[in-house]
Amino acid sequence: MKTAFDPTKAKLATTCEVPGILYALCYDAEQGTLYGAGSDWSVYCVDLNAEKPVAEKKWTNHKNYVSAVAFVDGNVITGSYDQQLIWTKAETGKPVHVVDAHDGWIRDLAAFPDGKRLASVGDDMLVKLWNAETGQLLNTFDGHAKQTPQGYATALYAVAIAPDGKHIASGDRIGNVCLWEVETGKLAGKLHAPTFYTYDPRTRVRSIGGIRSLCFSPDNKTLAIAGIGKVTNVDGFVGPCRVELWDWQSGKRTATCQDKHKAVLNHVAFHPTEDRLIVAGGGDSGGILAFWDAKKEQPIHKAKPKGHIQRFLLDGNGQRLFAAGYGGFQVWTSDATSN
Amino acid sequence: MTFLSTNGHPLNRPLHRRGVLQGMLAGSAGVFGVGNVGIAKDTATAKSAESGQNRVLFIWLAGGASQFEMWDPKTSRETGGPFRSIPTAVPGYHVGELMPKLAQQMDKMAVVRSLNTAITAHGPAADLISTGRPKEPALDYPEIGVVLARELAVQGSKLPDYVSFFLSTEGRRRPATGFMGGSHAPMLLEKSMRPKDIDLPEGLSDLRHKEREHLRNLLSSEFARGRVGGQLVSGYNSAFAKVRGLMQSKGLFDIEQEPVTVRERYGRTAFGQQCLAARRLLEAGVPMVKVARGFWDSHHDNFESHRELTPDFDNVLSVLLTDLDERGLLDSTLVIVLSEFGRTPKINKDVGRDHYAAAWSCAFAGCGIKGGAVHGKTDADGKTVVDGQANASDIAATIYRAVGIDLQKEYHSGLRPVPIAKEDAKPLDGILA
Repeated sequence: MKTAFDPTKAKLATTCEVPGILYALCYDAEQGTLYGAGSDWSVYCVDLNAEKPVAEKKWTNHKNYVSAVAFVDGNVITGSYDQQLIWTKAETGKPVHVVDAHDGWIRDLAAFPDGKRLASVGDDMLVKLWNAETGQLLNTFDGHAKQTPQGYATALYAVAIAPDGKHIASGDRIGNVCLWEVETGKLAGKLHAPTFYTYDPRTRVRSIGGIRSLCFSPDNKTLAIAGIGKVTNVDGFVGPCRVELWDWQSGKRTATCQDKHKAVLNHVAFHPTEDRLIVAGGGDSGGILAFWDAKKEQPIHKAKPKGHIQRFLLDGNGQRLFAAGYGGFQVWTSDATSN
Repeated sequence: MTFLSTNGHPLNRPLHRRGVLQGMLAGSAGVFGVGNVGIAKDTATAKSAESGQNRVLFIWLAGGASQFEMWDPKTSRETGGPFRSIPTAVPGYHVGELMPKLAQQMDKMAVVRSLNTAITAHGPAADLISTGRPKEPALDYPEIGVVLARELAVQGSKLPDYVSFFLSTEGRRRPATGFMGGSHAPMLLEKSMRPKDIDLPEGLSDLRHKEREHLRNLLSSEFARGRVGGQLVSGYNSAFAKVRGLMQSKGLFDIEQEPVTVRERYGRTAFGQQCLAARRLLEAGVPMVKVARGFWDSHHDNFESHRELTPDFDNVLSVLLTDLDERGLLDSTLVIVLSEFGRTPKINKDVGRDHYAAAWSCAFAGCGIKGGAVHGKTDADGKTVVDGQANASDIAATIYRAVGIDLQKEYHSGLRPVPIAKEDAKPLDGILA
């Protein structure tokens, strides 16, 4: 049996530098090309087949930070703080569709498993469903509070698609998750995970936190919610990194994974074949790339990445982990053993 | 028609209809309404309306607000961050998109974009900005607000000369009285917007309370007679007199007495409520009010924290300026917006900005200020001041001059004469009316 990725042997194999912060990452598995984008508005790519991979600036179609990216059928689809979704032909760098998608920063984007639709979320606190080929708006889901309970601006940071494509989960700053039926547009359920939001009414009179990432388990039974636990000093990510696992259909929390490493987890994913969670982020204790047995509270292994990670993904056979964040791209390998 | 400032300099302020009405009412009736609060006519309110008293509201953005996200945006630059800049009522001047309401009122405000104050540690930087003086081992300087309260105080007022709201705890600083001594300390509101213990104890009548005060005053005066330190005792006497005035005007601190529409305009945030209370105090004749809004120290998640804090600041300050203007108070009320420093051009790995004092901004409005003025300039990335560099002493001198205080005036610490403004301070004439 081949072990997909032995976290205890995780090793940073390659870095490809990019100015500023990469917020978004996607992968063209066929070509072996990574695409990343972020604070300098541009899309960069890395040819992983090259002897010495480097980050190459490919195009600049947005007019603000690029916060989300998906690769669908030869197009790199990007979402930005400029409120637009742009479909760009990967080969040419030419925009195919430009859509004024949200009235606010676009925070996240997720492609359906069949690649035919996309869901985006933005600071208008709406979830929007798109035809992934044409850019046509198919539906809008409205269910998140427009302000924090204290009357301040909130945000809708995260979106995830269920493996069967029938449900969408969206997560906001104040710790609420909405679950939407894709076909009917109905709100199928709400989860409240308030630990992810810390409001300090006395010392600093402001807040920090939010649900920063969501992921359905491969068996579609569990929803992982990631961010930061209760924060003692809301000036910074000075709280424990935290993942909660929920039986989303019954609305019950089934597990809490929390570590003393002080950081916000910007991304969570289930391993495709193993009962394991992978999380990444950064904060007061520095960057973190951690691997969790979903049944245990403590991580199996914590790796120290170069800089804070915003997004990561595994390659098709699970042998490599690609990450993007402060300073650029990172490629992680493990000395996986075959029996 | 012009008012005269406290030192006799004309301020070229128009006389507002409301002010005239208030003055007339004050002269003809026992009480008159200010913000729906009945105040005895011998309080400062009446005198304030009649005499053209100047006042100051000092808004302290504790922790260090980001100039990039507010007054000096650098859109499209690596240092600029994701917020766009928007045009303002002043042609050619843009502010950050989080301040759309203030953008429309920039013709009432003046901005200084060229502060270089060197110190990047919270405490020492706050000391520097608050006093307008570098630290000196031999002399403790008072906070600017303490000087303003003393200079703008109305003789015989029974209201406090200085009320300081600092209800959050991080970065809380009590205004230093320095060599002026404790008798110039402000009334501190740190746990509640209402002073505690201003109600008579149960069972104690007002008459009985007055009698006790007469007795205390008599004993106190006897004690002070012929003793060294008599000033200290008279300071206590003055403080006790103000307690009486305060008890009579306790409704001033109750913003529930404002119409619902006014309270809604200010919003339900703590900062909004405190600024509304501040307006009530200023209107009643308190010459110096400070409202601290913490905490802007955005080492992590700078953009999220400014998304949260700045729209509230934008709403509250724009409502406040309009409210002061409508009440005829803006021309006699200097509004100061200051922090201890700004934020770094570099966006760090935590998507934060750290402390930066080499090029940052502050803002003013109202009394003595030339609306629409923009002083100084930073480079394209906001890293250095390229024009009109100003330091903390210059800002202090500008504040004093705006309200008509003679910069040459001297206090004494023992035998040592101490000028109000630092000797080499240069007031920023370009933002002064």
